[in-house]
Amino acid sequence: MTSFEPRIVAFVCNWCTYTGADLAGTSRIAMAPNVRIIRLPCTGRIDTLFILKAFERGADGAIVSGCHPADCHYTSGNYHARRRFAVFRELTEFVGIDPRRITFSWVSASEGGKWAEVVNGTTERVRKLGPFETYPGRTRSAGEFACKS
Amino acid sequence: MQELKELAKKLLEEKQVSAILGYEYGRLGPRPAFATTISDCDRLVFDHRCVHNLAAYLSPRRTQVAQLGRLAVVVKACDARAVAGLIRESQLKREDVVLIGVRCGGVVRDPAADQQLDAGTVAPRCLECEKREPALADHLVGEAKPAPPGNAARDARIAEIETMSPEQRLALWTSLLERCTRCHACRQVCPMCFCERCIAEKTQPAWIETSPHARGNFAWHLTRALHLAGRCVNCGECERACPAQIPLGLLNRKLARVMADRFGYRVTDDPSAPAPIGAYRLDDEQEFIL
Amino acid sequence: MSNRRKLSKTDLAALVGDLLAAGTNVIAPLRFADQGRTAIEYGPVRDPDEMVLDGPQPVRSLKEAVFPPTDVLFRWRQTKSKIEIEEVPATFPETVIVGARPCDAAALDVLDRVMGWDFRDEMWFGRRQATAVLSLACTSCDDSCFCTAVGLSPTATRGADWFLTPVDGGYEIDVLTPKGEALLERYKARCPDSDGPATRAAGVEEKVRANLDVRPEAVRAWIETHFEDAFWKRASLRCHGCGACAFVCPTCHCFDIVDEPDGIDHGTRRRNWDACQTNLFTLHASGHNPRKDQAARLRQRVLHKFGIYPSRFGEVLCTGCGRCVRVCAAGMDLVAILAEIGRAATEEGGAR
Repeated sequence: MTSFEPRIVAFVCNWCTYTGADLAGTSRIAMAPNVRIIRLPCTGRIDTLFILKAFERGADGAIVSGCHPADCHYTSGNYHARRRFAVFRELTEFVGIDPRRITFSWVSASEGGKWAEVVNGTTERVRKLGPFETYPGRTRSAGEFACKS
Repeated sequence: MQELKELAKKLLEEKQVSAILGYEYGRLGPRPAFATTISDCDRLVFDHRCVHNLAAYLSPRRTQVAQLGRLAVVVKACDARAVAGLIRESQLKREDVVLIGVRCGGVVRDPAADQQLDAGTVAPRCLECEKREPALADHLVGEAKPAPPGNAARDARIAEIETMSPEQRLALWTSLLERCTRCHACRQVCPMCFCERCIAEKTQPAWIETSPHARGNFAWHLTRALHLAGRCVNCGECERACPAQIPLGLLNRKLARVMADRFGYRVTDDPSAPAPIGAYRLDDEQEFIL
Repeated sequence: MSNRRKLSKTDLAALVGDLLAAGTNVIAPLRFADQGRTAIEYGPVRDPDEMVLDGPQPVRSLKEAVFPPTDVLFRWRQTKSKIEIEEVPATFPETVIVGARPCDAAALDVLDRVMGWDFRDEMWFGRRQATAVLSLACTSCDDSCFCTAVGLSPTATRGADWFLTPVDGGYEIDVLTPKGEALLERYKARCPDSDGPATRAAGVEEKVRANLDVRPEAVRAWIETHFEDAFWKRASLRCHGCGACAFVCPTCHCFDIVDEPDGIDHGTRRRNWDACQTNLFTLHASGHNPRKDQAARLRQRVLHKFGIYPSRFGEVLCTGCGRCVRVCAAGMDLVAILAEIGRAATEEGGAR
């Protein structure tokens, strides 16, 4: 019986995943409340530094999600992102950031159900891993993140 | 090396260049040197202690060097890859530089302390030496040399780290990186770190904290390694320059393997070969993406 | 007046053990060997056997013990109506440095001048007060050492509370300051009276003198009258403009102040080491940079150390440790630079 509620930050693209997440919400699919979404125009905009920043500031996990290949609103943003994320994942794994704390996904605007799976799956995985207290110099805002069950 | 001196003098006499960027013997060993007169050229040397990557001086940000005018640069095959990178990324035009390729059999890691070249003193970059003279060159000097001494043990460090658990790795890298004092020698000696305004210098917002604590240092070194992915030529200058002796090259060599394994990219001195980051394929692997 | 004692090697180790048992921080040269890093560095001692007192000079200087690379000045917390400041304590745990090189110990003394000049730096003096320095005479040097050219030597006692001279089986100790006396008082069982004069090793001093023979006054006279000389551009072409030399230097002390948010409503103000060789050092918010090329920055470094500091405090801001020479990836060589300036000064019949 654990009282640890992980804090997860999700960086999602506006056109696919954000809309898909919205669909999950309007469809009343039950999802873990641990995720806070940050909307970006495209996964190609996601600087991997954002993910590191999230861990620096108290996140225990991260989700990065966008349009499926060939469906990017800006044509090729997600292709660039795909390479960038692959490199990021390999480097962070090498320095000891457990890859199970980060989920990468393609979630389209119609995949509300998939989004819920990504959210719930990531939350449970990160809950088992525990708080990411060993991230160097990690700080937490004094404000409440408010995920009480 | 007489051949090099004669060539340098000829280039100056014929006004093909205004200066030669090569090596001279300083008080303690070879160091970068700029020859602007015929008599200066007699100071130019090349031996197995000439580890410095002179391509770092070719960035347009080096205003004092740029003011010298058109340069001839002495490059080993490994250094030429950095020159190719600068050309590829439009920091240098091929016709604006004369490249004096030098045949090399390996260099030592510390030009002042290491006098002999052997498996103990060989520089890390030589462990992956692919060719001993550059293809990207206008002239070639020096005699052909045998391959540099190998050292399999030194190259096994990445594999060693990969046997560790995430917690052990994070503890290791935290302890290594917290010694960094943010002198930025790693960035300044790197030929591919030529940004007019480095991301670490941005203050609104300050994405990367400038303070030399573990948090700021982690952000800096991971970001620098990521920004160099597919661009780093593995010259090892960053590691040589680091006053805290952090094995920075491990991060870059790890990513070089990722470039080779995932994207089939090998560092090359061909400026027309596209860099892997900035390019993409429709069928890039995405096994890690749900 | 010095109080001379002797200390065997085993008793020194035992003394360090006593200090550790009493909860005192002990800093000494240690061997770091992990992931390719093999060097001697000053570091916190956990076991007296780790100390390396007969090795080469530590790569980084002792200034870190009293002037860390990053130092919290205060913390703040912001509420709706006000900002609360939380001061950091200016008292520090007791620390003893064992085996300080004479150049490093002297540097702390040299820096006391500027740190207590127009504003008393409480963080600096708080740590200085809590720290005892046990210097050890150098028994080895290399081509980069030049302490004799700046008024010091391998046996200089400046800045030391105890000065240790190696002899057979141990050390002769000269107890030099009230702080040194107080330390001796607590541990005198380990340090009996010495029965003879300390024999100082002379060989090292000759070698250091051979590295550089120049008078600081001649250097100062030349640099103060050759501001626009082409020498600065020529000498600075190979410099990469990093901070390595400044950061390993025992007397460089410039710092930057930053405010760092730790959360939405609270954060830390810190001071961090800064280096005048970087192009950002004098960059104004307007975009103007009074030292916009490396020649100007190199000139400033040499002037500050050999011109400005002496004019203000009567001595050079350099203890001849040679670290800047050893660490420079581009082969900038202060010994060669000073030698060249010295030669130019002599040729021009420079001010005597």
